Amino acid sequence: MAKEISELTLQDDVRYAEDHEWAKKEGDTIKIGISDYAQDQLGDIVFVELPEVDSDLKKGDEFGTVESTKAVSELYMPLSGKVVAVNEALPDDPEQVNKDPYGGGWMIEIEPSDPAEFDAMMDKDAYLEMLKGL
Amino acid sequence: MASASKKTRLHGWHTAHGANMADFGGYEMPLWYSSAKNEHLAVLTRAGTFDTSHMATVLVSGSEALDLLQLCFTNDLAACIGKDKKPLFPGRCVYGAFLNEQGQVIDDAIIFQIAEADYMVVVNAGMGAAIAGHLAAHKAVADIQITDLTDNLGKMDIQGPAAAKVMQKILASPEAVFDKMPYFSFKGHFNESGPGADAVRLTDGAPILLSRTGYTGEFGFELFTAPEHFVNLWETVLTAGEEFNLIACGLAARDSLRAGAVLPLSHQDIGPWPFVRHPWPFALPYSDDKTGFTKSFVGDQALLAAEDADYTLPFAGYDLRKVSLPAAVLDPDGKEIGTVLTCATDMAVGRCGEPIYSITSPDTPEDCKIKGLCCGFVKVGPPLSAGQEVTLKDARRRIKVRIQEDIRPNRTARIALKKMV
Repeated sequence: MAKEISELTLQDDVRYAEDHEWAKKEGDTIKIGISDYAQDQLGDIVFVELPEVDSDLKKGDEFGTVESTKAVSELYMPLSGKVVAVNEALPDDPEQVNKDPYGGGWMIEIEPSDPAEFDAMMDKDAYLEMLKGL
Repeated sequence: MASASKKTRLHGWHTAHGANMADFGGYEMPLWYSSAKNEHLAVLTRAGTFDTSHMATVLVSGSEALDLLQLCFTNDLAACIGKDKKPLFPGRCVYGAFLNEQGQVIDDAIIFQIAEADYMVVVNAGMGAAIAGHLAAHKAVADIQITDLTDNLGKMDIQGPAAAKVMQKILASPEAVFDKMPYFSFKGHFNESGPGADAVRLTDGAPILLSRTGYTGEFGFELFTAPEHFVNLWETVLTAGEEFNLIACGLAARDSLRAGAVLPLSHQDIGPWPFVRHPWPFALPYSDDKTGFTKSFVGDQALLAAEDADYTLPFAGYDLRKVSLPAAVLDPDGKEIGTVLTCATDMAVGRCGEPIYSITSPDTPEDCKIKGLCCGFVKVGPPLSAGQEVTLKDARRRIKVRIQEDIRPNRTARIALKKMV
């Protein structure tokens, strides 16, 4: 891989899923994106497909795709909920996912249907341990 | 898996420079360094270097070498140069393929004629032993030496409009080297003792074989050198290229550049099916009336008999969404008519209406925003023509694409060298 694990940006204030999505609590809603590790593995993101607002999605459901110069990859819901917003900037500026995966590269915002699912996601240390094992 | 892969002499350089590595043809190779997109664009606008020393080279020499290559290679070495179909001669090279008796591709190759009875056959990664073996199995006389140089030759490519300006800085006598050096010609030798070794030397005295070829569709060179000079050559080119913003490029950019240039990837776009009805008829020795061949060669009868062979055709989409392989090709009625061979993204092109423009096109309309297009090759039963629309379908999505005559316009590969210095 291009970045060593020690070079990855892994934020403390988000939770991580095994498929490398992150989830961040913002009041009653949760924002979702992909981790620095995921964007680094994918390479240049050239296209992002996101779901319709109001979609009801379960944990594990595909919510969209990210397309890099290398491959097309599915995005999976790290927790269940209803989509209340999608990042409207990504279709025109998909590179945000590479440049700022936890900020401008966020993908969807949901109202979670089961808060326990968030608590069950990995924290930074657990995610880091998982990456070391890959 | 990765530990079983072979490494080129630049492996340490690649990893030290942050390359994302992956197996290709049995070698651990860089896919990209910081950005495949930037690397693709650099080759169109400036210059890029590629480590291609995973590719294999086989030397064929001896008084019967020409006869052996004529028997095994698809192009007619006695009639392949220029409009008048002159014979190959020392300093020129030609593209073609090696087929089995069924007319299926074992590998594609460029054959360089180094001297009267001295040829260099450049094939794909991991194919040196197979092609050397194929040639040995067909040789009728003892007086032919077949030498597989796999892993014993340095090869790198420098591609892009600034390529000659970079080489100018590191060649001992660039004016002499660049004089009369058309597309698909070469000078020099990679061995100190090789014929013509004095023709191309670096300023430090190292001999190289410098060829006006490449695999990007863009202006540039392939450089062959002895292994002991290779890492130094790579670093010398990168240093000389700094002022032109030359960057090292990985195989992802190489793949997207060649797809947009309508060049096949061996074992993907050409392979175990008859080598006919494809966009590379110049690799076959067709007679003027296209009904037969100008020479006989291994696989020729199978090709002439392949009346129900599939058609391999270039395509481009309407945006940069791709399908993942395996993917099917559907006709407008939804009927499955074939498979997708390659689906890549040429990041330097876009459609404005039907026509495709490149970031380097002088006539791109002002309101035309180029974001990249998916493109590649399909292999289908019916003979579709350029402009026809088909649907590509993978497990996830369907995308509409158009059969194309060509993909990326305004390519620079054939521009006269004197205009590029």
